[in-house]
Amino acid sequence: MKGQLVNIFRFKLFIYTMLALPGLYMFYPILSHNPIFLADPAKYLLEYFGKTATLLFIFVLSLSPMRVIMPNFKIIASISRYRRMFGVSVFVYIVFHLIFYLIYEGIFSQIVENLKTPFILSGVFAFFILFILASTSTDWAVKQIGYSRWKCIHRLAYLAALLIFYHQALQEKNGIVQTIYFFAPLAILEFLRVGKYVLKKSFNKY
Amino acid sequence: MLINIKNNWELPESMVTSESVYRSRRTFLKSLGYGLGGIVFSPSYLNGANIGFSTELNPLYVLKELDLTPYNLITSYNNFFEFSTDKEGPKKLANKGWNSEPWMIEVRGLVRNPIKMDVNDLIKKIGGIEQRVYRMRCVEAWSMVIPWNGFPLSKLIKLVDPTADAKFVKFTSFIDPGQAPRQRRRNIHWPYVEGLTLSEAANELTFMGTGLYGRAMPNQNGAPIRLVVPWKYGFKSIKSIVKIDFVSKAPINTWQALQPREYGFFANVNPNVSHPRWSQATERIIGGGFFESRKETLMFNGYEKEVGHLYYGVDLRKFY
Repeated sequence: MKGQLVNIFRFKLFIYTMLALPGLYMFYPILSHNPIFLADPAKYLLEYFGKTATLLFIFVLSLSPMRVIMPNFKIIASISRYRRMFGVSVFVYIVFHLIFYLIYEGIFSQIVENLKTPFILSGVFAFFILFILASTSTDWAVKQIGYSRWKCIHRLAYLAALLIFYHQALQEKNGIVQTIYFFAPLAILEFLRVGKYVLKKSFNKY
Repeated sequence: MLINIKNNWELPESMVTSESVYRSRRTFLKSLGYGLGGIVFSPSYLNGANIGFSTELNPLYVLKELDLTPYNLITSYNNFFEFSTDKEGPKKLANKGWNSEPWMIEVRGLVRNPIKMDVNDLIKKIGGIEQRVYRMRCVEAWSMVIPWNGFPLSKLIKLVDPTADAKFVKFTSFIDPGQAPRQRRRNIHWPYVEGLTLSEAANELTFMGTGLYGRAMPNQNGAPIRLVVPWKYGFKSIKSIVKIDFVSKAPINTWQALQPREYGFFANVNPNVSHPRWSQATERIIGGGFFESRKETLMFNGYEKEVGHLYYGVDLRKFY
């Protein structure tokens, strides 16, 4: 029984559907005439996709530490096979986030003006990093670059995470409580991963 | 000959609740309540400081060129940090048992005639309320056009008669951590405090809001009585006031205390002074739709003629 349930995570179609669901949710407030959506549709969607992309990104980054900490947990192992696909979907959501941001700002000169603020600049840098990662995520690209070098490039994801943390924190009006809630699981998992690595190393000495 | 042309925002007589229905509202609601149980969660629009007073529009304060923001957006898109930091939160959480009636308000400090009375009695004493259409510009770069009901603060100032030492007016909101969930957190020093200089407070534009669209003030919009200062960013217009102090020193307003680099005491709408994180040159119009809802922000939110003289010679970059 248990094995069968885990198998569902091996189906590409299932994974695709799961990844598309946050995108489909976009239509819910539109169809239900939610006043929060009607008040400022572009702002609502901009924030919605920003948040979705952040959460999904944190989830992707959590996969490798989880695999190190819990090597026998099958669901994680199954999902991890599609890690690159998850990463690409993060990029897709960030593209939506960017599009709605451009609509929200509307005026070109103001968009250029905003590039001077650390808030917008951190987002733009994170976008470029994710663009590089997404565009090198095909099997063909991995082969061309060579796996070890490819892995090195894709460690830029951690830099992007820091930039997104900063970007998200600046967006909060009062304190950074929500941002800390978002990123805390990832921070804890990475801490445990490093802890396990250090322990293993010190054991191997003897 | 007097021709009375109704403006498009004037609600027709047919929409006004008749007195008999109003008087039997509690029985009516009880019957509704028994029938629908939890569906009817708050009858707050039926009580409050507005009912029983005529709300004549003051013809001096009409914005013909602007469309009014729909009632349902004004009452669903709120910043009311006592209840929630989301825009949709206050509508739900401020109508879950928080009581804005009866409501005592106290006016004290450097005045000859201090007052402490029920809001409805205060309105009677002031001599009723009027309606004014004002622009509302939030520091978050969005704006609304709102038909407020209430009375000019200058009338209250005349009533309490401040002494010569009074230079500032300090407004204090309620504190009720039991009903206002965010007040249980310590990240903001509650209660919410705001302040104006005496000359700002005495300006003819400065208004005490007791309702909107001819109805009582909804809880989420700051029932039963709030400040409305249309040439300043929205956070200056403190909601649900319990205390007004006439003082000699400038009070530290809540947002200034939280982030002095971003929010000052004056907080005048000014397209030339950016917020550290975003430009204030333009604003999104709430309810304006997807593409065409950004317009240029006006100096003093379009009230330069009325209030510009208050800041003559003041460096507005320094005193933001």
